[in-house]
Amino acid sequence: MSGEDTRARFERIVQPHLGDAYALARWITGDRADAEDVVQEACLRAFRAIGGYAGGNTRAWVLTIVRNTAYTWLARNRNAVVTAVDDLAAIEHANANRAEAAAGGAYAANPESELIATADAARLEAAIAALPAHFRDTLVLRDIQGLDYREIAAVTEVPVGTVMSRLARARQRLVREIEAGE
Amino acid sequence: MMAVTTQGEDDRAILLVHAYVDGELDPANAIAIEQRMAAEPRLAAERARVEALRRTLRERLPQQTAPPGLEARVLRTVGLTGTRARPTWLALAASVMLAIFASSGGTWFALQPSGGEGTAEAVIGGHMRALMAPQPIDVASSDRHTVKPWFNGRIPQSPRVIDLAQDGFPLVGGRVDVVGRMPVPSLVYSRRQHVISVTAIPDASVAIDKSQSARGFNVIAWTADGVTYWAVSDLNPGELQTFARLFRDAAP
Repeated sequence: MSGEDTRARFERIVQPHLGDAYALARWITGDRADAEDVVQEACLRAFRAIGGYAGGNTRAWVLTIVRNTAYTWLARNRNAVVTAVDDLAAIEHANANRAEAAAGGAYAANPESELIATADAARLEAAIAALPAHFRDTLVLRDIQGLDYREIAAVTEVPVGTVMSRLARARQRLVREIEAGE
Repeated sequence: MMAVTTQGEDDRAILLVHAYVDGELDPANAIAIEQRMAAEPRLAAERARVEALRRTLRERLPQQTAPPGLEARVLRTVGLTGTRARPTWLALAASVMLAIFASSGGTWFALQPSGGEGTAEAVIGGHMRALMAPQPIDVASSDRHTVKPWFNGRIPQSPRVIDLAQDGFPLVGGRVDVVGRMPVPSLVYSRRQHVISVTAIPDASVAIDKSQSARGFNVIAWTADGVTYWAVSDLNPGELQTFARLFRDAAP
């Protein structure tokens, strides 16, 4: 592959997604400067791997590399270990709590929705930042970056069913967080 | 473990509510969960919460944009500093091609002979069948974030979905048509009581920019990014031209 080819491919496949790449890195690391470093490193990886890019969704491909880079970066620089939280028991427990809470009050969807709708940005950001890592990146990819389930499954390298349950848990936690703060 | 089974069933319904709001369910599952939401306040409340949360996240969070220097820094890192002549040239070439097509008037640009005619017939056929059906659409939504994901799993590539409500062409929904032997996405817009179908065919080999009328319908076709778009409607040619221009010029 000639240098010109690689350049053209990089411009076509990676460059259009720099904004999304940065936003995802920013949500995962929680820091602007760190996000820039992650994007830079991810782009270098993408550039080296671009000869092997086999086609398909370019955004999902780029975001997969960004996500992996962000987690290795965190592990290296902050000793952070990403714990898996897709523990079935925890999910059942959380769900039981929600059902209990719901049973306690009336199903007044409107005032509740209003409460959610008026949550301020700082509080939202904090609540998202406080989510367990894989809940957070699934939520960010769907509700902020607008990827569909199949794309998220590709980026986070899990089955669609796992994406669905992570997303539902993430949203339920956010809602609880917002309601608790009012 | 008995409790887990019923809990699991509950859990599944909740996941389906989320998938419903995300436009990820096929029509059969969507109808099933709609019925359950109507019957079970618990699920209706979950839907209200998810919709409120999604709206809040969309409207209240500040846009995360990459810092201005990032692109240059990235290009330096990978050793691609300096000129970006290629995309500029491509963009220029694309606009020149567009200008040629636009000025071609009555010329039928078909690099693949007869491909264009056959496609036009198939596209008009899809539009007519849709008008005869109880609903001209398989997914009914004015939200492009619902319509776009709906196509996933049904066709290889989701179409570009554009919101033209502000210009007086509200999105109504989408459906899958079959052209040749290929399932292709059609977006449905409305103008007053007229229905406009936009069928996107990923085939750059039929390069055309042409308006015509056939069987009482006006048809406009144009090509962009390797996809040929066919707009079909009984709307008058002038307004259909306006629609096509808006669609073509809109940011994705």
